[in-house]
Amino acid sequence: MIWQNYQLGNTISKASEAMTLWQTEKGIIKIGKNTLAIPIMLSDKERGYVFHGNGKFLLDTIAETEEGAIGKPVEKEINKLFLLLGDTRQIQKQLTKANEEDLSKMGYQSQQEFVERAEDLCDQFFKKKGVHNHQCFGEHRGFIFIFQNQTSKLDILIAKGSKLVYMAMGIIFVSNENKVVLKSASEVVCAGNGKSVIIKK
Amino acid sequence: MSEYLNEEMKKLKEEMMGLKEQLKSVMGRERERRRGIYIDVGDRVHDYIGDVMDGVAEGIHGELEKSIFIGPRGVRILRRKEPHVKGDEVELSFPKVAEVMSALGHEHRLRILDELMSGGKYINELQEKLSEITTSTLSSHLKVLEEAGLVVQEKVRGRYLVTMPGRTAYKMARRVTRFLERRNRE
Repeated sequence: MIWQNYQLGNTISKASEAMTLWQTEKGIIKIGKNTLAIPIMLSDKERGYVFHGNGKFLLDTIAETEEGAIGKPVEKEINKLFLLLGDTRQIQKQLTKANEEDLSKMGYQSQQEFVERAEDLCDQFFKKKGVHNHQCFGEHRGFIFIFQNQTSKLDILIAKGSKLVYMAMGIIFVSNENKVVLKSASEVVCAGNGKSVIIKK
Repeated sequence: MSEYLNEEMKKLKEEMMGLKEQLKSVMGRERERRRGIYIDVGDRVHDYIGDVMDGVAEGIHGELEKSIFIGPRGVRILRRKEPHVKGDEVELSFPKVAEVMSALGHEHRLRILDELMSGGKYINELQEKLSEITTSTLSSHLKVLEEAGLVVQEKVRGRYLVTMPGRTAYKMARRVTRFLERRNRE
């Protein structure tokens, strides 16, 4: 099973209510009401969604060390297309069919235009990043979120339970319960269990 | 000092050559013992490893010469790459220092920092500890500390944490306290 063989579903939906896609002690991803969604299919199974609407992304990329807290939280409005891979059963329940008006509110002239932009994002991730194995994102295996940043490159968040990896422009943040690795432009910090190592560049 | 190191490195190289020879004979015996297909990579690999090890040894030698000074009192390892700059030689960044000093310049804010030094706290925990400060005043003080970079607030859980500059500022406040106490005693 190869992710490059993905297909987008036939139906474009919208969020009937604002919903939280992911939430832990470290971060939250929320989407607003009327956010457009199109499913990503692989081997006739729904494996994720491409969303476009107004949402919010919060992530506390902070490492607590005995020298003090290092890093600052990431707080972003999500107003570009983004991708979610993972268990979609809960999300499906809160989606209804979108119409032309819903699409035009998000600036699309037609369904085809949204589909094409969703495909572009999927291709950018699946083909250029060389994602091959489905095992990583199967059911109950956590979530992967792909966001386009200002430079149209991809910010990636991989989350499973309390474990998470966030890779974005100038920052890599890895967290597992109280253990944290933070790599920023100026330093690398490894912290956990009251001990920490700080490497200044 | 350099001659001593050269001599040590020479000895190390000789030991390495000896080890290389031993490895050859062990590999030979192993080859005979094993069954199946064996691809002889020849002496080139051993030579290559030897060259790499020589390169590493020379690198270490160079670094040792740069960073270790053996004086009459023993070995001192120089950690700093840049020459140490004395405090009074550092150029002051007036706006930044003024911002930090201003953030520290209130008893309530110093108390807040003191509370946060023992670990991250939610605003209601701070409120409990600092009951003499009203909630709105506490929030505005926290905002000042945050803007000066002395405190950071988690966006998800909402806890307030002291940053590295915050800890340094707190230590400075303690030093001032010690100095004043000493002066008062005198």
